[in-house]
Amino acid sequence: MAEWNAFYQNEEADEEQEEGEESAVNYKVTGRDSLVFLVDASKEMFIKGEDGEPSNFDITMQCVRSVYTSKIISSHRDLVALVFYGTEKSKNPRNSFKHVYVYHDLDEPGAKRVQDVEALRGERGARLAADTMGSGEVSLGDALWCCSNLYSDIKLRLSHKRLMIFTCMDQPHGGDSTKDRQARTKAGDLKETGVVIDLMHLMKPGGFDVSLFFCDIVSPPEDESELGLQVEPCGKLDDLQKRVQAKQQKKRAMARVNLCLGEGMNVAVGVYANAVTARKPSAIRLYRETNEPVHSKTRTFHTQTGSLLLPSETRKAQVYGNRQIVMEKDEVDTIKKFYDPEIFLIGFKPMEKLKLHHHIRPSVLLYPEEQQVTGSSCVFAALLKKCTEKKVFAVCRYTPRRNYPPRFVALVPQREEVDESNVQVTPPGFNAIFLPFADDIRKLDTPQFPTASDVQVDKMKEIITKMRFKYRSDAFENPVIQQHYRNLEALALDMLAPESIEDFIMPKVEQIDRRLGPLVDEFKELVYPASYNPDSKPAAKRKTADAGGGDEKKPKVEIPEAELRAHIKNGTLGKLTVPVLKEACKQFGIRTTGTKKQELMDALIAQMAK
Amino acid sequence: MSRPLLKIYETLVLCMDVGFSMSNSPPGEEPPFDQAKKVIQKFVQRQVFSESKDEMALVLFGTDATKNPLDQDGQYQHITVRRQLMAPDFELLEEIENHVRPESQQTDCIFSLVAVGLFIQVKKYDRLNIVLLTDLSTQVSSDNLDVIIGNLGKLGITLQFFFPFPMEEEEHNEEGGGGDGDGDRRGSSRPGVGKGLSREQKQGLEMVRDIMLSLDEDEGLDQVYTFSEAIEQLFMFKHIERRPMAWPCQLTIGSSLSIRIVGYKAVTDEKLKKMWITVDAQTSKRDDVKRETVYCLDDDNETEVQKDDTIQGFRYGSDIVPFSKVDQEQMKYKHDGKCFAVLGFTKHDSIHRHLFMGSQTIKMFAPKDDEHAGVALSALIQALDKLNMVAIVRYAYDRRCNPQVGAAFPCIKQTYECLVYVQLPFMEDLRQFSFPSLENKKFTPSESQLAAVDSLIDSMMLVEEDENGQKEDMYKVHEIPNPAFQRLFQCLHHRAVNPGTPLPTMEQWLKDALERPSAISERCQAPLEEMKRKFPLKAVEKKKELKTGAQIFGKGSAEPDAKKSKVDEEEEEFNLAKISEGNVTSVGSVDPARDFRSLINQKSLPFGEVCQQLTHRIEQLLSNRSTHYYMKCITYAITLISKDEVEGSTVSKDDANQVSLRKPLEPYLNHCELVKNAFLRV
Repeated sequence: MAEWNAFYQNEEADEEQEEGEESAVNYKVTGRDSLVFLVDASKEMFIKGEDGEPSNFDITMQCVRSVYTSKIISSHRDLVALVFYGTEKSKNPRNSFKHVYVYHDLDEPGAKRVQDVEALRGERGARLAADTMGSGEVSLGDALWCCSNLYSDIKLRLSHKRLMIFTCMDQPHGGDSTKDRQARTKAGDLKETGVVIDLMHLMKPGGFDVSLFFCDIVSPPEDESELGLQVEPCGKLDDLQKRVQAKQQKKRAMARVNLCLGEGMNVAVGVYANAVTARKPSAIRLYRETNEPVHSKTRTFHTQTGSLLLPSETRKAQVYGNRQIVMEKDEVDTIKKFYDPEIFLIGFKPMEKLKLHHHIRPSVLLYPEEQQVTGSSCVFAALLKKCTEKKVFAVCRYTPRRNYPPRFVALVPQREEVDESNVQVTPPGFNAIFLPFADDIRKLDTPQFPTASDVQVDKMKEIITKMRFKYRSDAFENPVIQQHYRNLEALALDMLAPESIEDFIMPKVEQIDRRLGPLVDEFKELVYPASYNPDSKPAAKRKTADAGGGDEKKPKVEIPEAELRAHIKNGTLGKLTVPVLKEACKQFGIRTTGTKKQELMDALIAQMAK
Repeated sequence: MSRPLLKIYETLVLCMDVGFSMSNSPPGEEPPFDQAKKVIQKFVQRQVFSESKDEMALVLFGTDATKNPLDQDGQYQHITVRRQLMAPDFELLEEIENHVRPESQQTDCIFSLVAVGLFIQVKKYDRLNIVLLTDLSTQVSSDNLDVIIGNLGKLGITLQFFFPFPMEEEEHNEEGGGGDGDGDRRGSSRPGVGKGLSREQKQGLEMVRDIMLSLDEDEGLDQVYTFSEAIEQLFMFKHIERRPMAWPCQLTIGSSLSIRIVGYKAVTDEKLKKMWITVDAQTSKRDDVKRETVYCLDDDNETEVQKDDTIQGFRYGSDIVPFSKVDQEQMKYKHDGKCFAVLGFTKHDSIHRHLFMGSQTIKMFAPKDDEHAGVALSALIQALDKLNMVAIVRYAYDRRCNPQVGAAFPCIKQTYECLVYVQLPFMEDLRQFSFPSLENKKFTPSESQLAAVDSLIDSMMLVEEDENGQKEDMYKVHEIPNPAFQRLFQCLHHRAVNPGTPLPTMEQWLKDALERPSAISERCQAPLEEMKRKFPLKAVEKKKELKTGAQIFGKGSAEPDAKKSKVDEEEEEFNLAKISEGNVTSVGSVDPARDFRSLINQKSLPFGEVCQQLTHRIEQLLSNRSTHYYMKCITYAITLISKDEVEGSTVSKDDANQVSLRKPLEPYLNHCELVKNAFLRV
């Protein structure tokens, strides 16, 4: 059923973004990603820092919570589990392991789980942990074995399996070699089944020595040349979150294509999204009686005969110049085909030729795919190095998929950057910036004004300096999405009211006013005459969105039928404004669902043709 | 493309001289008539596809017959109005194609323009632009010059002229005092020039010059073109021009400092307004096709439920939360609407180009009539520019739109200053991947490898300094029209004018525009060869991992990639049985029944397609005039159309009903029945 159904649904989706862009990154679903948090619950984890800093356990729980909530928002299909080891009490599927407490089985995170983890935070959380689990003997081997059972009990196909160990003990078994060996064997078994084991080692007095034990447990780094464990242990929540965040998202290429430098010189690259606009998820339909989800099916049928139409029994059409032009479906596809998927190098330009305002869609990152074409990484690294040195970018023609018209991109080199504790903050690669075509650039009438005097500019400089801050791209949460999830959370957990959100993109007006003090008035005196009020004019002009009763005031805009017909005949319907067209639709009893001008026009033309 | 060709006014009258001299040309040269017709055709095409609302009329000069409103007492003869002012459409194109042909009369083209100005009825406020295409071979009377200029000025008419020969050439010839052997300076290949101009033509040109200069002293002559110039510039479809929409707002800093601004979209990912509509294949009517969406429960019978019996819900992780539209509206994030409020200022280089979001950039100016706002904004722009900083702002288009966070960059040009606004990401949008370092012994390029890359880059620089130190960019992407639009219009136009013929190939100019410039291709040959020697590259033969059934059998290769199949989650479960059936991609002739069954189980092709394939196979077998094939068919046909078969497979009943397999087979069933009887009789 899947395919058949999907076929019809696809067709619908197709039409919506017929000429569409690659709006969302459509990963090919191959299975679920999974993540197990294996957290040390021994006494040492609960020791608080000197200045009342939160304990390692506390920051781990905060981190787990944030992963839970971010998974709910960004990838709710992923499975997550939370397992404690070194506990006094035990709780696991067959209760065959002592001192292992499975707090959350591998499953999609939900509201309840977020609450559970939330409860484990802080002072009270530590008490709760002590009550429910307690701290006891440590056997990492058993814990790992238990985790491997979690994986094997899952019926779903798992595409990416990751296990993160949070601990501050570099010798968990205190030198017990039997237990060490057992843990190593179990870790080996896990790795063999494709589980990637990461260590999130936390601060410990005297430093955390990875080489004592954990170097044999964790998976080797992707990059063999590096030890991968040179990173310092995390002491701060921020660092831990950053580190977990970087690891927990499986990076998936949007596309794998050849970067073609010229005839016979193809370098394989993966294309990755730098950022994708997160949207509110779409609603799902539920059956009123039972609240169970329903699925929709779209069918196409013939209006006259009522029989279902096969895709081959329909065609595609567009109307231009009063004429309907009809094409077969596959013709519509071939029109879009220009090249096979590739990134074709046209040439290079100096960096200053890349115009800031030439922006049409979020960029993507290119990284070599050594597994597809060996030698790719070397060419890529050399290009990256030389482009950086010579301060040039590459102009390329990019065809992401078959039946997709090309776009031009500027490949801007990006060198790798790491922070103090050796964690990568910027990956190496080429950022592909999409360049506009002539059609994308609008001609504007640019008004001319006298430029400001030095005094005026200097005053503004003072204002600017007072309001300086350090911008970070991850500093602003989307209030719309956050509010939406808070609302859902409240409904899911039967809370009385949703938790309030902080709107980070709201200017802190009072703070700004306080900081600027008299500067504002001084600046205004310099640029505005006393009689001038910048707030007055536009408000008086017209109220559109603000006034609820705006509609009533508007005079009726009716248009005689004869005039309308004349417009249709002469093809000048487009000269009428949307309100006039809407009114005309009403006049002739046409029910319109659309509000777009083209839709209204089409509806009117169709009606008049009858 | 320095001069804008054909200024677009609200109304436009195309006047074409079809008189007898227009079809005269020296052997081997295209007659001016053909060229002029091409210019008109191309121009009308562009207008049709750009959905221009500008009305257009077509008037022919020098026609044998006379058809115009002023046709009285022998005046204004041989002028035919082919089409009154109307928006251009395909009818006009056909009319030009079929009814504009060389005729044998002559008229004083320039004097006739006045007539056109009088009888083309223009609505109030609309300006009239008249375009004249002629070779100026008719006697023009300069006596009327003042009358003409006076009338044109009074009627507010603007003019454009298209001639088979360049205007400047004439000048040159006069200066050179003769004009015979002098034609080689600006390409003697230009048609019309080689033979020199006749007295009438010279006289005509003189008059045109007088008229144009009297209408517009400075740029009047810019509106005179040659046919070949016009064809060259009209070969591409006009690119989409959208009238910029003003967005008036106030830029605010804190509670008491505001500056009035107006925003305009400057760059945006432009889409075509028109979508493909689905029509019935036979009737080509849209109304014959209806699409219907039904909702089904997830039970075995896929029980349909009414839309009214459904409510809205959202997923919160593993939970599904019913959340009505009303509640959602009430509880959603609300804001005060339109705003452009500064949150703070930050260093220019802390904003990364690769994290620009959204699909547009907006330029913010002060309102046209507000000098004070202009100065205030200028102070901000200058200050930001000098400090090398940008403003971080909260931007909301209006109350219904979600607010964004973005950066306002200062932009100082020679003629204007503005702020450029670009959206920045929210925390939720970021994909913070880490990648293995490339500073790796295995991948570190050697010195000689780096040198090869170095010379490759040098040989492929698209921007070079010319002898004056001016940087010349030989590949401006922002001047290339979107090839997707060009190609679509080309195909639509072809199909509209030549229905029933296959689509044309891509136009050569478009192909060339998308390729590496030939100068670069040549120059990079050697460095590229060097690169190939220095960097061994080897494509890895991929052993395809067997993952899910859906992946192995894939989307049928016949399906275009654009139709991505959504793999249902049930598909995640591994199914060995599917693999064991081998890779069946179509209904073959050896054992169609088995193929049919396994294809249905695989769901790798749409059910309808499988049915069609089967039907096709049966037809094939039937056409084979051998009796045991007939029998084979009968068995297949009978077994396969039986409902049991379909129910036994994983195709749901509902889907099975959707395709009436029985219908296409019916005639064959009868046929089989006959054959069977015949066979029995034998």
